[in-house]
Amino acid sequence: MSVRVGTDSKGDCLVEIAAAEVPDLNVSTKNAGLLEAGLRNVCRTWLEHLNTENEAVTVADFGAVDYVIRARLETAARMARPQATSRLVEMPSREMSERDRPRRSRLYVPGNNPRLLSGIEVHGADCVLLDLEDSVPPDGKLAARILVKHLLASIRFSEEVWVRINPLDAGGIEDLEDILQGQPHGVCLPKAESADDVRRLVAELARIEADLGFAERRTWVMPILETARGILRAEEIAVADERVVIMAFGAEDFTRDVGARRTDTALLHARAQIVLAAKAAGVQASDTVFADLGDMEGLAAESADARGLGFDGKGAINPRQIATIHRAFSPTEEELAAAREVVAAAREAETRGLGAVSLNGRMIDQPVLERARRLITYASKLSQGGRS
Amino acid sequence: MRNALGREVPERIGERSVRPFEGAFATRPAGLKAARFQKFTPRDEDKVLPSIEAALDATELSDGMTLSFHHNFRDGDFLVNQVIDACARRGVRGLRLFPTALFPVHRPLIDHIKNGVIDRIEGSMNGPIGAFVSQGGALRQPAVLRSHGGRWRAVEAGDVEIDVAFIAAPQVDPYGNANGINGKTPCGPLLFVADDAQYARKTVLVTNDLAPYPVYPIEIQQGWVDHIVKVDEIGDPGSIASGTLQLTKSPTRLRIAQLTVDAVVASGLLVDGFSFQGGAGGISLAATKYIGDEMAKAGIVGSFGMGGGTTMLVDLLHRGLIRTILDGQAFDLDAIRSLREDAAHVAMDPGMYANYDSRGCATYKLDVAFLGATEVDLNFNVNVNTHSDGLLLHGIGGHQDVAAGASMTMITVPTLRGRIPVIVDEVTTVTTPGEVIDVIVTERGIAVNPRREDLIDRFRAAGLPVKSLEEIKAEADRLVQPVGKPIFGDEIVAAIEWRDGTVIDAVRKVEGYE
Repeated sequence: MSVRVGTDSKGDCLVEIAAAEVPDLNVSTKNAGLLEAGLRNVCRTWLEHLNTENEAVTVADFGAVDYVIRARLETAARMARPQATSRLVEMPSREMSERDRPRRSRLYVPGNNPRLLSGIEVHGADCVLLDLEDSVPPDGKLAARILVKHLLASIRFSEEVWVRINPLDAGGIEDLEDILQGQPHGVCLPKAESADDVRRLVAELARIEADLGFAERRTWVMPILETARGILRAEEIAVADERVVIMAFGAEDFTRDVGARRTDTALLHARAQIVLAAKAAGVQASDTVFADLGDMEGLAAESADARGLGFDGKGAINPRQIATIHRAFSPTEEELAAAREVVAAAREAETRGLGAVSLNGRMIDQPVLERARRLITYASKLSQGGRS
Repeated sequence: MRNALGREVPERIGERSVRPFEGAFATRPAGLKAARFQKFTPRDEDKVLPSIEAALDATELSDGMTLSFHHNFRDGDFLVNQVIDACARRGVRGLRLFPTALFPVHRPLIDHIKNGVIDRIEGSMNGPIGAFVSQGGALRQPAVLRSHGGRWRAVEAGDVEIDVAFIAAPQVDPYGNANGINGKTPCGPLLFVADDAQYARKTVLVTNDLAPYPVYPIEIQQGWVDHIVKVDEIGDPGSIASGTLQLTKSPTRLRIAQLTVDAVVASGLLVDGFSFQGGAGGISLAATKYIGDEMAKAGIVGSFGMGGGTTMLVDLLHRGLIRTILDGQAFDLDAIRSLREDAAHVAMDPGMYANYDSRGCATYKLDVAFLGATEVDLNFNVNVNTHSDGLLLHGIGGHQDVAAGASMTMITVPTLRGRIPVIVDEVTTVTTPGEVIDVIVTERGIAVNPRREDLIDRFRAAGLPVKSLEEIKAEADRLVQPVGKPIFGDEIVAAIEWRDGTVIDAVRKVEGYE
């Protein structure tokens, strides 16, 4: 019996566990004088927790931070012995997030790449999405869900952190067993095609939350609609469960499924359908990612169009895209000024006991007033969070 | 004895008594500069010699002499090894090496240190030689590290008397005029050692391209030059960009670059006539690019960008975003081409750049500088020479000169390199004192030196993530176990000079780790 996990890339480590006569721990790192004692410390503590016995453990470090080392050790231990524990020593305590908080950006990051995960919390994305699905190859699924769990356990996020799990029949439930220990704010369900898909997920969430003792905690759900079937059932998906707070569009899979080319025209119906279904249900809608990292103007234009359609945010494939997306989905100074004028006019009409509100000679009806109020509330939420 | 920063420094280094660091601008020079012996050269004397060996004869090269070199070829230099090998072959011993900088290509010098051919080094040691020296490698006297401006000052002040200056020169005429931007293998301007050429007892140009009289531009002139040697190769210009010059793709580093530029905008300094210097690291290069984008957006034109010239800086000049480049050295081949073609790309010597004992430094005209570091401590002191493991791996470069000169000096660093924290309680070695550092930019936030309250207010007003260094440090420290510390012996292996010639810190032999 011998297993080997991890990589020799920067920020990662290689862990090997083999049967041995006597337990043994070998640690190597580039800067042994400075780092060996600390590395041994992380390893020993975690190996005790994992109850390794009569196993020789070899750790070759390439600049991995502690949670990466713990994750790789656990992955190797679980591959070597299926009965090895998958429980964290200590669960983090992450508060639930507000259901209608701003979610202008959802930043995707591959869940099994320590270098890309490193510092992912600092970029100011409204939602960070740790991905276990498309960016992780089948033989990396176990390592990824364990790495994401350990990341969640040790990193504080000032905004929201979500995990995109695999489809429920393709590893999604196993994903949940691990990652819910790390208490993400929410879980993204890829290729959602029906209300039943959402209800199945919610049932699993409730079961595991109860197992873990999070009776009061609700993990939010973000169905991702990326098939023809899913788009057609957007309405039922949006209202399937109160945990659904946002629906997202995935254009890459959608165009493949439908046989369409990726043009604005080809995507228009799907986009509009998602926005309508989301808004009818009182939840947010987030547009698909923009894949050309070099084209910031294209990103700005597509974001502006999406906002025009009624989307509340957009996916990002790289932190560099966040500022542009946030600009597009934040109220402009002009919009805010206009909204404040409308609200002020309404207040004045009320104090003067007038039934109708008018501004600069034009009548202001109730929906316009409501919209202005919402915009001001939203802007104050953005500034409270210190978000930019 | 202890200097003004409380660092223990030696009273003597070799035959020289040490002046302890008193403060960034505390000392005043006195007396006259050093000078050179007069010499008469007959009208028809032939300066061209057939080989390095012939030059060693002609300069009467002997035990204990001080030899100087420039580092314009960086990791592609062929000359230093050739000259020292030739010295070793004829049994010369006890040389003092006075290079502007050494690189990994100079690793063979380690053997010459071991067998006594070299017994002192005064100059930057990037990589293996530094590591060897800091593990107690057998230099008979401590190495001395100086900034670019500090080295020029030391020559003019007579702190270092050069016996022979060997200058790898890409284009030379038979009477001794030379430049580094033309010829078969250009390496960038030779002005780095214009002082060596004027102060050395003997000055030798070594070239692979002897061109008819007169060559131009004239960076080194005939009146300073004793001998010229024609060889096949002097260096590989392909190695000038030795590894550091890559535009980073790391999201963490790009965020630091973006925050740096956001802070520059918030500082109010980005107005017409703006001037700046960035280093050649990945973060600095990205910041240079973003600064250009901001200048274009704001419609302003900068007065100058200061080099090490890079393709990024040249791009700003060509886009009309800065009026001039003032350049001490070329960090890539685009910069060399621009020096040839762009009149507004001006080469300057380190004396004009940053000589403390002078009537003016270009660095004092800088609005903003963004620089790197191996470590930063809670007092804003910066280390660029040693790593946390105590090994001496880098030179000072222009770090001290630029930090002391710019109106706003920014240090751009990630909080962790692998498992090693960059923000520490106390730096292993002080290269540049906190009194000349204004802002530390990390991916986790921006720390402002408390004496710059004005900046704190501006950054906060702009919504930038201002934090204390302690907060930033704590965030990074949560991710890794505490690292060990090197155990230093008493033996001093190198002295770090501040740019005025005082000693700001000493590097001690690494004996092991706690």
